[in-house]
Amino acid sequence: MPRRGLRGGLLKFIRPDDLEQIRFAVLEVLSEVGILMEYRPALELLADHGAKVDWKTSVVRLPEGLVQRALVTAPSRFTLYGKTPEYDVKVDLDRVYTIGGSCALSVLDLDGQHRLAVRQDLVDLTRLLEEMPHLDIMHQIVVPSDVPELGYELVNFATCYSISKRNYYSQAQSAESVRDQIRMAAVYQGSEEAVRDRPTFSEVVCMVSPCKHEKQNSEVLMESARHGIPLYIEVDSLCGATTPAPIAGTLVEEGATVIAGVVLAQLVNPGTPCIFSIASGILDMANGAYSGAAPETALIHAGTAQVAHRFGLPYQGGTGIDAKLPDAQAGYERALQVLTNILAGTNFVHLSYGMMEQMLLASYEQVVIDEEIMGAAFRIAQGFDVNDYTLSVDMLARVGALGKHFLTQRETRDFYRKDRWQPTITNRDPWDTWQAAGGKDMRQYANERARAILAEEKPWAVDQEQAAEIERLCQEGVRKAQERRQAM
Amino acid sequence: MTDSSGEILQSMAQAVIDGEAERVRELARRALEQGIEPMRAINEGLIPGISEVGRRFERKEYFLPELMMAADAMKKGMEVLEAALTAGGGKRESQGTVVLGTVKGDIHDIGKSIVGTLLSAHGFNVIDLGVDVSADRFIENIVNNNADVLGMSALLPTTMPYMKRVVDELVSRGLRQRVKVIVGGAPVTPEYARQIGADAYGDDAISAVHVVQQLLGLAN
Repeated sequence: MPRRGLRGGLLKFIRPDDLEQIRFAVLEVLSEVGILMEYRPALELLADHGAKVDWKTSVVRLPEGLVQRALVTAPSRFTLYGKTPEYDVKVDLDRVYTIGGSCALSVLDLDGQHRLAVRQDLVDLTRLLEEMPHLDIMHQIVVPSDVPELGYELVNFATCYSISKRNYYSQAQSAESVRDQIRMAAVYQGSEEAVRDRPTFSEVVCMVSPCKHEKQNSEVLMESARHGIPLYIEVDSLCGATTPAPIAGTLVEEGATVIAGVVLAQLVNPGTPCIFSIASGILDMANGAYSGAAPETALIHAGTAQVAHRFGLPYQGGTGIDAKLPDAQAGYERALQVLTNILAGTNFVHLSYGMMEQMLLASYEQVVIDEEIMGAAFRIAQGFDVNDYTLSVDMLARVGALGKHFLTQRETRDFYRKDRWQPTITNRDPWDTWQAAGGKDMRQYANERARAILAEEKPWAVDQEQAAEIERLCQEGVRKAQERRQAM
Repeated sequence: MTDSSGEILQSMAQAVIDGEAERVRELARRALEQGIEPMRAINEGLIPGISEVGRRFERKEYFLPELMMAADAMKKGMEVLEAALTAGGGKRESQGTVVLGTVKGDIHDIGKSIVGTLLSAHGFNVIDLGVDVSADRFIENIVNNNADVLGMSALLPTTMPYMKRVVDELVSRGLRQRVKVIVGGAPVTPEYARQIGADAYGDDAISAVHVVQQLLGLAN
């Protein structure tokens, strides 16, 4: 059985008529302001299809008709394949899933040490994430400091892809890297054709606000689309700095920058799955830092869900939190952020496992705590049913009038198991009981749980022979990337 | 109009505090018309203004937008007053020349630009090379402008190592002693700055200004 997420979307901040105005503004920016695209083949393809290119400034303007045609071929539902059918993710505009990651430089390890991440951390954190029930898509949570800068994404691919059965959220520094990744996936899937038919990984391309598509990103986008690899077309705006300070203006900039990428992908290969993605935050005006956990950031992410869906595209939102330790700040930041995103119908809640300190730090303990928060948040989003059975008038007639309780009723026993979320590391005991059990706080419970998970050696998703072949291809790819750099 | 010189200088300081660039420029012109020495207009008009902005920023009454707008206003006033200084055969002692840029492979602009604006407001001659800057371009500009400081920024873990490449290149070309190197950007740490042989690390834009002043022995 594939994974079919809960439906979100109850929470809407934008009224329908205001949403139309945002859509018009996005179309106006695309057709009259334009997008700066550095990659010449992208400009040429767009120009061939009616876009107006200023060849001197590399700014491309996209008429509405071109945009609409692309939005027709961009699917609103598709499958992101896992290595086995139970990890297939059925994507549409309503269902909500989660993604791990991404790209922290340091870890807060289980001994409480803050240090640079190494490849072993990527292995351990990926193994830990793989055991989190609410995680749907795997992504590299750290960039190890002990791997080469060129081709690091191939090392991360080889590591995470080999461990995890989930669809892998990858990234690439070049078109060659995309092809190297297809080769690695083919080791598991049997052939490159099988990878193109049912890709077990996707690529993210991160555009630059305001309104800029950098060369490398267009190159990776076009190569991925050519092979039918699903794309997260992402913009990481910094509200008040790289996008306008009003949230509405930020939504417009995001819309224009992302949709331009969608148009390009659809021209290369109509039907390529494109996910409207953001990892935006506000600029903290006191220290100039990115804040992923600010309440305004949550509003940006909830609002963008409506914008993406208005354009008929699945949507990735979510971001890291700002706390440095798994403390009270971390708890409130993550809870508000995740709940807002899930309720808003963010189809992929990203960066929501263990990512702290403006996305620079990954905490083992916070991964486990975030799973707990995710469970509670999804339970709230699930809501409750109102029907003849749940209205319970018959039961009230049977029990209520007699002044009895409901605990011994068959309906109670049958219903609560389906209806109640059971916490795992949340403590609801009274003081004395809690003290008698060691008086531990949540961080200690999380630490024990993480250690227990990591102590248990589970088989990787690929067998040893495949893992060795994937690693060999990875090292070959890294070596070629170095040679290409030297040849430049 | 018969503004006394004291009033003009006070208005100029206030206009810097308010981030009113056009008004600062206009007041600078008026000050010159009234025969106020350019050096005095800088020291008693612009500098008290920007200093007050710095104090308000530290007290969290002002935030980055006010700070940046004040720095822009300061720069506008400076252009007028420095032109008059040069025309009169004088010259304002530059605090030093800083070559600034985001390293090759990295296209993140905003943090580095904030640093540049604040450095110019504090009297430095800033040569901002933009983003995706190669070691050769950094070095060419350091040599041609006889720069005192090189400031490098990186926002990506994957581009950060390029800062080391630039430092190594400076060493191999025998230029390392000629220029102080300061590095910054979200993933950069003081330890990393030490590891790659930089002289200093700037935690944010304000501290970058302090650090550059310290490196050049200008801190008071």
